This record gives sequence, C-alpha cells and structure tokens, in this order.
Amino acid sequence: MDLFELLNFYVIPGIVLGSIYALGAVGITLIFAILRYAHLAHGDLATFGAFVALACVTGVGVPPLAALPVAILVTAAVAVGIDKVFYEHLRERPKIVTVMASLGIALMLRSVVQVVWGVDTETYSRGIVRPEDYFGLRIRDRELYTVAALIFLVGGLQLFLTRSKWGKAMRAMSDNPNLALLSGIDNKKVVMLTWVIAGGLCAASGFFLGYNTEIKSMMGWHMLLPMFAAAILGGVGRVEGAVLGGLIVGIAEELSVLVIPSEYKAAMAFAILLFMLLVRPTGLLKGKVL
Amino acid sequence: MKALLSMEGLTGGYGDADILLDVSLHVDADEIVAIVGPNGAGKSTAMKSVFGLLTIRGGKMLFDGDDITRWAPNRIVQRGICYVPQVDNIFREMSIHENLEMGGFLRKGDLSAAYERIYTLFPDLKERYRTPAGSLSGGQRQMVAMGRALMLDPKLLLLDEPTAGLSPKYMEQIFQICRDVRDTGVAILLVEQHAKQALAFADRGYVLAAGRNRHEGSGANLLADREVAEMFLGG
Repeated sequence: MDLFELLNFYVIPGIVLGSIYALGAVGITLIFAILRYAHLAHGDLATFGAFVALACVTGVGVPPLAALPVAILVTAAVAVGIDKVFYEHLRERPKIVTVMASLGIALMLRSVVQVVWGVDTETYSRGIVRPEDYFGLRIRDRELYTVAALIFLVGGLQLFLTRSKWGKAMRAMSDNPNLALLSGIDNKKVVMLTWVIAGGLCAASGFFLGYNTEIKSMMGWHMLLPMFAAAILGGVGRVEGAVLGGLIVGIAEELSVLVIPSEYKAAMAFAILLFMLLVRPTGLLKGKVL
Repeated sequence: MKALLSMEGLTGGYGDADILLDVSLHVDADEIVAIVGPNGAGKSTAMKSVFGLLTIRGGKMLFDGDDITRWAPNRIVQRGICYVPQVDNIFREMSIHENLEMGGFLRKGDLSAAYERIYTLFPDLKERYRTPAGSLSGGQRQMVAMGRALMLDPKLLLLDEPTAGLSPKYMEQIFQICRDVRDTGVAILLVEQHAKQALAFADRGYVLAAGRNRHEGSGANLLADREVAEMFLGG
C-alpha cells in the first residue's frame, strides 16, 4: 500500500470522522467541567439535530448546509429546555441521579425521532459525490466543510471563552464554582449558556455525521462511546483536548481496519477509553479526574 | 461614631447545631479587627455568619445602616462586603488579570481604575498579570485572592486565615498589605490562627472560645492580658 492510498482511504476519512466526534466531545467536556456529570443523552441529541436539518432539507427544500444553522439553533433551544424541565430539578442531588436521568432523556429523544421521522435510513441528498483530486489527495467537498466547520465553531468557542466576559465566567465556574458564586457570577446564566453551546455543537456533530454518511435514529447513540473516549483522552474540561481526542479516536478507528476486521472498528474507542482511564485518567492535556 | 458592621447577640450554626452562642462584635470603618481563639471556637463560623452562609437563629447583623441578617450572599457582596475564603480562594487556571476581572464581574463600565488600584497595592501581581494564578507561590496567591475581593470596591473585607501556611516573611507582607488596604478606606475583619502576631498587628481583637465572646479590646491590651495569654497564646 502506498502513502496516498493510506491517506485517501484511512487518514482522510479518519480526520473527517474525528472532526464529527470532536464537535460532540467538546460539548461533553464543557458539561462535565461546569455541571460535573456525564451527559449520556449527547448522542441522541446529535441524532435529533441531524433530523431537524433533514426536516429543513426535505420540507423547505434548502440545501443541507443552509439547514445546519437552523438545526444548531433548534437543538440548542431543546437542550436548554431539557435542562430546565428535567436536569435543573436534580441539581442538588447526587450527580449519578442526573447521569441516569440523561440516559432516560436519551431514550426519550430517540423515541421522539423515531415517532416523528420513522426508523428508515435517510440522506440529505441523493446520488454519489465524486471526490476532487488535490495533488493526489482525494477529498470530497463535504469532507472539507466538516473540517472547516470544526475549525470555525471551536475557534469561535475558544475566542468566546478567552475574550468575552461570559466566556470567562464559564471558565471561572468550571475552575472554582464556590468562588464564582462569591464573585457574584450568575450560576443559572452560565448553565444556560453551557447548554446553548453544547446543544449547538451537538447538532453540528449529528448533521455532519449524516452529511458524510446516512441519517438514522441510532446514529447518535453509536457515537456516544467514541465521543466520551475523545473527551477523556483529551482531558475532561479541556476544549482543545476534546478536539485532539476526537481526531485521534477518529483516525484510530479508521486505521484499525488495517489490522482488525471492520466490524470491530467501534471497539477501538472502547480500547482507548479503557487505556486512558487506567493509565492516565487526567487525559493528554491534564483535565479533571472523573 | 456608628460602627460599620455590628453583630448583636448572634446565635446560629450549620443545620441544627448552634456553633455561635450570643456573639457580639463590631467593626468601625477604618480599622482592622482580628478574631482569635482556640480551634473550634467558632472563629471562621463567626465570619461566615456575616456572609449569610449559615442558619441564624437569634440576634442580628447591621451593616452601614441596613439589617443584613438574612440577606443572600450575592446581595451582601453588592452591598459592599467581600469575603476571601481560607482555601480555594483563587481561580487556578485563570490568569491573575482574569482573576481580578472575575472579582469585578458585578461592576459595570470601565474597570481600569479598579485594576490600577489593585496593581498599585500588589506590584508583584502587575509584573505577571498573565500568569495562571495556580502557578504562583502561597503568598502571591493570597494577594490574588485579596485583589479579587477588592475589585468590587468593598467597604469591608473579610479574610479567613489569610496567613495560614505562609512563611513568616510572607505573613508580615500580608499584614502590611492589610494595613495598606485599610489606609485606602476599607475596613478588615480577619480570623487568625497565629493569635500573637494577629493581635500585635490588628487595631482591635476579639477572643472567642466555645462559640462565645470571651475577651475584647485593643490588640495590645489583649496581648498584655494574663488570662488571654495563658489560655490562648501559650503563656
């Protein structure tokens, strides 16, 4: 196998898949940092986002990329709503209660998707897209858009977190919640902001998974493990870590096909997760310990 | 002259247990007041009671003309009392400047005068304003913690054991900073484990034992009091 074959068939798809994981993992890591629990409904929230975009594409007839902002806004609003209706009442209880509740939310979201849109496999656009040739590298436009979206969204998030007053308030809440309250930072606004960001990124993750493959009701659930592996690999609470973790998990999954049967591809994320928790639970970029 | 803060016969604690029993004290606008006493005397609890962090079952607390006995902490912050906890009192992963910015979170408008004031008090911090606060030494962390609290321009600063775990050199430096802060018109109420040093430097002191007032007076008088010396200051 030559270098271009390796890049075209394994590394490039790995980067694309990794970007999709990264978009979800960033949300998981933010929720962990600020609310301090594992959000198990993250995958199904991504599914929901993908189907909202599908509704725009089939219902209104807009091109898929134009449906993305709508999916982001709707999913962000739904995430805030779920928090208000369910998680908020559990805030003072042990965190495991919320973790279990989020599993329930995951099942609920999936059922809503199945009731509204059915269980069939869908796509945003029909037909086969031929990759363009860039000096021997074969890349589809949608793959470029996926990576560009990751850079744009996470870059924007980083600017927000390091430059804006409320972004810094989010970091402060993650760093030392008691002191943040003593400083007069409004806990409720920070939590809401966290859900807006996590929900929006989650929708983008689901959308790009659907855009690059297919849209089905189990798509997000299957992404949950790799997304968690990515967040933990990068270091919980670290946005840049979640991106790095996502890319590593994505590329590792694609490369694993070279040595193990492709049906076991998903086990790669599990292996990485297990390895990190045993060897270096703080992750590559020294995050919080779960 | 009317006291800035006065605690009158306060009884209360965490949950159902009363830790403070009929504690009274006051702080005037331009003084440093130290609360000392043996472990478990309720020193830190007395301070937290100012901040609305415990259940109060009797007595009242007046601050600058308002009865603040049952106010929520964020309202008390805005009214002009800032609190520096003993531990976890900085945002470790944020820079010194960001720590100050979070301290001034509730303030609207231009904060440059406030930053300038803090950096004048703590020149050490100005040099390294972009350094993550978690990588600083203990004394410098205490400065960041005090600077954060001062960003809201409080009338009263509460310090919970500001010199715990610091070397004598830093202890003296923190005390000096407290005097500088007082001279800018901020009253200070602090709890100290190092009773001798604290009484020597404070304007007035209170000795608490088992949740009750035991002695009070100027720092020098308390230090000279034989009973106080025998009980708490190791003879």
